[in-house]
Amino acid sequence: MSVVLEATATPPAETTRGAFRSFLRHRMGMIGAGMLLVALIVAVFAPLLAPYDPYASANATIEDIYRAPSAEHVLGTDDGGKDVFSSLLYGARVSLVVGFAAAAIALVIGGLVGIVAGYRGGWVGSLLMRITDFFLVIPDLALQIVLVAIIGPSLGTIIFVIGILGWTTTARLVRSQTLSVRERKYVMRARAIGAGDGHILRRHIMPAVLPLMLANMILVISLAILSESTLAFLGLGDPTVISWGQMLNYAFGRGAVSAGAWWALLPPGFAIVWVVLGTTLLGTALEDALNPRLKRHHLETPGADVARDRVVAPLPVPVEGVTSPILSVRDLSVEFEAPGGPLRAVDGVSFDLRRGETLGLVGESGCGKTTTVLGILRLLPPGGRVVGGQVWFDGEDLLGLDGRALRTFRWTRLSLVFQGAMNAMNPVRTIGDQIAEAIRLHAPGTTKGEADGRVGELLERVGIGRQRAGDYPHTYSGGMRQRAMIALALACDPDVIVADEPTTALDVMIQAQILELLSGIARDLGMGIILVTHDLGVVAQTCDRVVVMYGGSVAEENDAASVFASPQHPYTQQLLQSFPDLAHPDRALRGIPGTPPRLDDMPRGCRFAPRCPHAFERCHVERPPDYPTPAGGRAACFLLDPEGERPT
Amino acid sequence: MSGRAGYLLRKIGWALVTILVVITFNFLLFRVLPGDPAKSGLRDPRLNPAAVESLRVRFGLDKEVFLDLDGGNPLDTQFTAYLGALSRGDLGTSYNFRDQPVSDLISRALVNTLWLVVPSQVLAILLGAGLGLFAAWRRGRALDVAALTFSLFMWSLPTFFLGIILLVAGANWFGLPTAGRLTIGAQFETFWDLAWDVGRHLLLPTLTLTLVLLGEYMLIMRSSVLDVFGEDYILTARAKGLSTYRIVRHHALRNAMLPMVTLIALNLGFTVSGAIQVEAVYSWPGLGALTVDAVGDRDYPVLQGAFLLLAVSVVIANLAAELIYGWLDPRVSEE
Repeated sequence: MSVVLEATATPPAETTRGAFRSFLRHRMGMIGAGMLLVALIVAVFAPLLAPYDPYASANATIEDIYRAPSAEHVLGTDDGGKDVFSSLLYGARVSLVVGFAAAAIALVIGGLVGIVAGYRGGWVGSLLMRITDFFLVIPDLALQIVLVAIIGPSLGTIIFVIGILGWTTTARLVRSQTLSVRERKYVMRARAIGAGDGHILRRHIMPAVLPLMLANMILVISLAILSESTLAFLGLGDPTVISWGQMLNYAFGRGAVSAGAWWALLPPGFAIVWVVLGTTLLGTALEDALNPRLKRHHLETPGADVARDRVVAPLPVPVEGVTSPILSVRDLSVEFEAPGGPLRAVDGVSFDLRRGETLGLVGESGCGKTTTVLGILRLLPPGGRVVGGQVWFDGEDLLGLDGRALRTFRWTRLSLVFQGAMNAMNPVRTIGDQIAEAIRLHAPGTTKGEADGRVGELLERVGIGRQRAGDYPHTYSGGMRQRAMIALALACDPDVIVADEPTTALDVMIQAQILELLSGIARDLGMGIILVTHDLGVVAQTCDRVVVMYGGSVAEENDAASVFASPQHPYTQQLLQSFPDLAHPDRALRGIPGTPPRLDDMPRGCRFAPRCPHAFERCHVERPPDYPTPAGGRAACFLLDPEGERPT
Repeated sequence: MSGRAGYLLRKIGWALVTILVVITFNFLLFRVLPGDPAKSGLRDPRLNPAAVESLRVRFGLDKEVFLDLDGGNPLDTQFTAYLGALSRGDLGTSYNFRDQPVSDLISRALVNTLWLVVPSQVLAILLGAGLGLFAAWRRGRALDVAALTFSLFMWSLPTFFLGIILLVAGANWFGLPTAGRLTIGAQFETFWDLAWDVGRHLLLPTLTLTLVLLGEYMLIMRSSVLDVFGEDYILTARAKGLSTYRIVRHHALRNAMLPMVTLIALNLGFTVSGAIQVEAVYSWPGLGALTVDAVGDRDYPVLQGAFLLLAVSVVIANLAAELIYGWLDPRVSEE
């Protein structure tokens, strides 16, 4: 959480520079800028480039009309006997002037409305947004036609009309950006130390809003150019200037189609396409660079989540007299694709889970807990894949299952309670419907009545009345949604349930109830539970065994009592010290200095060495293997090496 | 008032307010701005003052525009007269077609416009939603890239220019008619002959409008589906063991349609703009062509009536979209 806050607290200058770099990488944006530059050069130098002056009165004879392209007239002549190529070059001027001028008007109005509505809020804000909504419903072109018709067609009128009708999208964009900046940490801080509105607007709001407005302006320009050409084509252009829309209007209205004079129709049309395409490409690229939207998705990428060259080891031989684990993870490694080569998020993780046992998977955020379970469940996001290891589930290697076998396996043997039950349920389907879906999917013969009966039982098992089955997720409270999620996880009687941070975002009372429910289920139904959490209190309350993870690998593993009583790995020790202990309330709490390593900057030796108070030379050069601990567990630390030298 | 009934009432109330504002706006626009031939006609120096006065009384121009504050009945104004006429369905008389009430002209044109817009809109929504879904599903692959390129090109192509290109191609290569609603002066033996002729006339304009709307809808649907694919409940559905097809069909489609409905409603102005251009290119006797012709003829009553009808239709269609949204999404009663 702190990481997220830190990122948004960065002042905008930093992100603007980053945005500029990512824009330069955007090939489409560069093409768009190039196209626009060509149009600009043509517009500025039209008098030098054009072979004829299209504004000069022509002494055209009947033979001069619609002459086919020739050396004399590269693109032939139009209905008035004028050179199409020259008119085309001059037309760029009108398009660009109208485009830029109208966009400037739209930007000023939209920017003002957006900033006032976003910054002031209150009734002023809602009134302004109502007015914006009103302008959004009025059909633009119809109103433009009416206004231009009444005021009279001149270039100024056209610019004015397009400008005052084109500000709505800008206003909405600026308002939402202003709103979000207003709530950011550095702005709150500035306000707290007594900065006035003027200062905040100048120093904080404008720098954040202006780049977005610039990107938006480019798109408004393309709209304005389209509007101008449309009005001109409909006969509402300024009759004294040459524009592409008007060239099309004259050619189309004066027999170019029947004369077969394609040269009078296609060039102006494609000139419009050229400029609009250029501005759109540029604007989209700028918007992408300034406002990057992370596109993640949760669909299967067939065959991509497990590396083909993964080494497959044979099934471990069961040991006589010991119940073999239901789930055995061996040397699991997961990598994510990244621009600078794959990054290893999970590195050689191994642990076992027995039936009826609750295993805690503990560590700070970003230590690879969630990635480990997603790798086991074959639910990694795109770009992530298991590159090594095995996941044995009741004698079967999960990583070797094909699509169909995997789908049958899911939920019937192993199910999941997700982090943040807020969004884990589909908002437009009822809770009962979503539980019944899992039941009927895995037991195809089940009738609707049977499934509904089972849904009722499950909801009662988790302490929700069966009468709530027909309700939608948004009518449930946070705690109830987590209970419903547990009911869903129980739907097909799985052997193992993985609960990923099941109690974050719930208040302490509800947390305790949910944990009670989970351990009750493990006890009564004999299911194995993997509890992924950063909260040691949760672990102490519910877990039989603990696996402590750090930097993508296992730091220490043992039964819960031993880990809490005598932690062996320095990381575990520090983790315990940073957590309040009710048995020793007088002990001082200490955070762990530093932050967990980044995936692209892993220490060469022990991953914890840079933050470890006991680290010595060997720790910085060599990765520690697992060493047995006195209490029968294991820990990856050179301090436990029986033959190793000790730091002096 | 809360829950679904409250939502309904709020939306209907807001639509009524908007329509009232549109009516007032439309009235003022034509009273305040210069250029009305009826008013400039009264300034003709050849008319004697008595005739001018009688004309002013006849047109109601002797009354105050909005609110009578100089004694007299404050509500006996040009605006209330306009509202009264509106409530009787009287939109005035065309300057250009003397014998024709504006309401007759525009209702006939509206029917023609609907013939064009409804099939295009339905086709574009179905195809756009389908292709957008498919493009999102296969993001980054050939179909997705093709779809994106197509939408980008369609966006940059002015509607009237696409109309011209299709008109030239259709007329030269397929011998399709290029203007009007049916062959003028032709005798139709049976109903089917008539239908065939109308269908041939409809083909090119409908195709143009469909293509223009299609690019837009495809893009909207694609990004909407991609957003849904990133939601946590899709991961839940996958963990439950649902196949990708089932996830898309049962969990992604309906959720993705929600923003689609709103955006289609917001884009109705875009549809109107497309229809105006297509009608101008194909001389299709609808509301758009009527508006453009009225501008050329300075036929203000027709212009005013057509604009009012267009604006009110968009408001009503918007309301319909809001109601559909409320019906699709169980969460709206919370807002």
